[in-house]
Amino acid sequence: MEIKSMRFKANSEASLANVVLQGNLKNAKGKFVTKRAEAIKELDDFEGTRDAAAAIRNKVIDNLDLWLERFETKAQETGAQVMWAKDGAEVCRLVTEIARKHGVTKVTKSKSMLSEEAGLNQALEAAGIQPVETDLGEYILQVNDNEPPSHIIAPAVHKSLDDVADLFHKVHGTPRKTEIPALTREAREVLRGHFLTAEMGLSGGNFLVAETGSVALVTNEGNGRMVTTMPKVHVVITGIEKVIPTLEDLSTLMRLLPRSATGQSISNYFSILTGVKKPEEHDGPEHLYFVLVDAGRADVVGGEFHEMLRCIRCGACMNHCPVYQTIGGHAYGWVYPGPMGSVLTPLYAGIENAIDLPHAATLCNQCGVVCPVKIPLPELLRKLREKQTDAGLRPLTERIGLRVWAWVAQRPALYGLGASLGARYLKWLAGGNKSIRLLPAAQEWTNGRDFPAPQGQTFREMYAARRKSAAQGDAK
Amino acid sequence: MANKRVGLFVTCLVDLMRPRIGFAALKLLETAGCDVIVPDTQTCCGQPAWNSGDKAGAEALAKKTIAEFEGFDYIVVPSGSCGDHIRSEYQSMFAEEPSWRDRATAMAARTYELTDFLASVLKVDSVPGDYEGTVTYHDSCSGLRSMGIKAQPRALLAKMKGVQLKEMNGCEECCGFGGTFSVKFGEVSAAIAGRKCDFIHASGAPAVVGGDLGCLLNIEGKLRRMGDETTQVLHVAEVLAGRD
Amino acid sequence: MSSREDILGRVRAALHRNAGNAATAREVMAAALANRNPGPQPAVAGEPRALLERFRLKSEQASSTVDIVATEADVPAAIAKYLAAMKLPTSAVAWASLGALDWAGAGLKVEARGARDADLVGITGCFCAVAETGTLMMTSSPDTPAAVSLLPETHIAVVQASRIVAYMEDAWNLARAELGSLPRAVNFISGPSRTGDIEQTIVLGAHGPYRVHLVIVEG
Repeated sequence: MEIKSMRFKANSEASLANVVLQGNLKNAKGKFVTKRAEAIKELDDFEGTRDAAAAIRNKVIDNLDLWLERFETKAQETGAQVMWAKDGAEVCRLVTEIARKHGVTKVTKSKSMLSEEAGLNQALEAAGIQPVETDLGEYILQVNDNEPPSHIIAPAVHKSLDDVADLFHKVHGTPRKTEIPALTREAREVLRGHFLTAEMGLSGGNFLVAETGSVALVTNEGNGRMVTTMPKVHVVITGIEKVIPTLEDLSTLMRLLPRSATGQSISNYFSILTGVKKPEEHDGPEHLYFVLVDAGRADVVGGEFHEMLRCIRCGACMNHCPVYQTIGGHAYGWVYPGPMGSVLTPLYAGIENAIDLPHAATLCNQCGVVCPVKIPLPELLRKLREKQTDAGLRPLTERIGLRVWAWVAQRPALYGLGASLGARYLKWLAGGNKSIRLLPAAQEWTNGRDFPAPQGQTFREMYAARRKSAAQGDAK
Repeated sequence: MANKRVGLFVTCLVDLMRPRIGFAALKLLETAGCDVIVPDTQTCCGQPAWNSGDKAGAEALAKKTIAEFEGFDYIVVPSGSCGDHIRSEYQSMFAEEPSWRDRATAMAARTYELTDFLASVLKVDSVPGDYEGTVTYHDSCSGLRSMGIKAQPRALLAKMKGVQLKEMNGCEECCGFGGTFSVKFGEVSAAIAGRKCDFIHASGAPAVVGGDLGCLLNIEGKLRRMGDETTQVLHVAEVLAGRD
Repeated sequence: MSSREDILGRVRAALHRNAGNAATAREVMAAALANRNPGPQPAVAGEPRALLERFRLKSEQASSTVDIVATEADVPAAIAKYLAAMKLPTSAVAWASLGALDWAGAGLKVEARGARDADLVGITGCFCAVAETGTLMMTSSPDTPAAVSLLPETHIAVVQASRIVAYMEDAWNLARAELGSLPRAVNFISGPSRTGDIEQTIVLGAHGPYRVHLVIVEG
């Protein structure tokens, strides 16, 4: 997918100015948050479960090479083929080759964020193969001229019922429907035909189980089951970091993933798929392929950002992020929005291609406290800021400003003088009012709010004066 | 038992913008029987540098602050944000410099946010303030999520007969300040502040109280821009100490 | 160099892999793979009656409907009654494992085969059921095809009360003991298919069944 993260600031301001989007975001805000809060109460030991989940993910990431080999061996034993892709282009090439080999003309897709990273739909189309997104949210976006998703769990969360009603009326040529169940039924009927005729199903993978060589898929709609049951070929595209050891570990992670994502105790469907259909079976794919994708992940292993590889893609961080709630997902400019995206985008798409993202956070740590695998997201964002500074990627004025400020702050007398002058200047700007409407040096602040007036003297001045008069008082 | 020797770190923002918060903290600590010193060479804890990726600047200011506050029984900060920076970040900053890491660890163990210190360490029975009226409380992010400041300010306010606490929805949501975030992405920051102000208004309280001046300036600025000239925005120390 | 070698090579380099630490890591892996201890689990009372009650409650919370019958012989009549009450068709596709029940005697036309798009009612058993979350565990095989619980608009599952276990971990242990290795598809099902993709409003019947009805056999 093309990366537009360098336009974050402009995109975020456009999001704020988009009245329809703001209405949709306001409507969506908090629904996931409330449901999650209820769902985690069902766990007697939520913190202990988080610790266990983080430990499971660490166990694999700390020896990822060996776990990948183990998974590969087990998957091959079950009759699956395992392929490796260094980047998105290789994902596209491998999937297109698999499709050609099996004479595939249509691919039904269950949600895969990695296929978004790779731009797979465009590649398939270019090869004359029809990709059909079957997750309702992804389908809505695909028929809306391949609009990118704005959320990893709820891709069309930025769209309203009205938006979808207009869209389906236009693309399906059916009478405009205004009820959500009717719209859902309409999509079901369109997609059912595709499920039955596609020769290949494509899914992501929530987890790869090393014990059994299986892929685990978490879905609610049943589209994940459809694309892995009906077509004769099933291709799993997933990142190399998704391996977990055992089925017990899978159960632990499943206590957290749906609760953190949508606030469900468990998703409607949870499928563990192992190998291919036996000759006497009625359904299931005859061919199963795993495409294990690097696309930046291998270079995160063992480094200062390795904790990010624990991520299980629940979306809780964005659901709880004040910035995401305010501007939505598109402003982030790539596949992954919100706090996890602000870490992943620089790591996977290049730190120089996403200068704003690590700074696009208040570091409120709401993401950190909800993360089911305890990724210290604010700390990783801060480290990315440090990397940018070290690489000279921040604007020169900012770097010089910080340097000068830090230099002065190490010299108390000079700092005290500067603070006194600053307090008086701001007081003068306020001109007797309680607040300043326009701060020439910080218009970013005063564009959207006033700047309260200072008292006019610094604490150190007043404290010194008070001590002096107290000393004089004592002298008398 | 000798009085506790407390070093008060007033914070750079209080120094510049609201000295009365520093004096309120001083009064609260002295009323509770502490010997309070305000080292006059203190400037900033270095958090803005640290959060902006300027490790060198942050380390220099951390060393300066550590050196200034050694020798006190306690270091008290009227800010969850600066307090957390001193207590948590200094140690991780010096992971590779054992001597400074040890000094940072020693400082961390003695550093408290103001309301935490009053409620948990001094366990004060009463506070000198005489504020009367209904207030709502904004939980600042670092204090709440990194230092566990939630019950302490409420327990202290509950000791004031004239104060009624009316909780707002979303009291734990970020106000959108975020330090330099507020001037890098001013419009987003102000929009988040707008939501916080809506929560404050919905609570019906004529005053909002918090423990971090950065948040309070953000909230006050947004309230005024929204045309609200009356809702008072107060630091919890001002309320607890009362006006001189 | 193949992409496999390239990727694994960079991971190995990042982890400073050598023969010595590989041997140690393999021991850690073997221990992790052999470990059958579950992580923290919410309390679920283990007595049979409590398991049944919890399974029923959680299933209903997941929007399934639940009926309880005394013996397997009562199943066809109970299903006929449900279909009549819901004004649903009396023809159904079923797992071969249920083919021996007297469906005709209850006025139902039930065919044991794989599911087709036109099938409106699918009747299945289940491998076991999980009380913690109100979840059916389905294991695929020639006699238990996966699509029967997926394609029809109505899915009816027969659950033996003795097969209700407390946790998903118990289900894994049952599978290991009884099946050896995992079948092609293990599907955990918790209620009808659903979506919240339009305005986060939950709608039942996205791509799979609109309704799931459970008939629990006590005997």
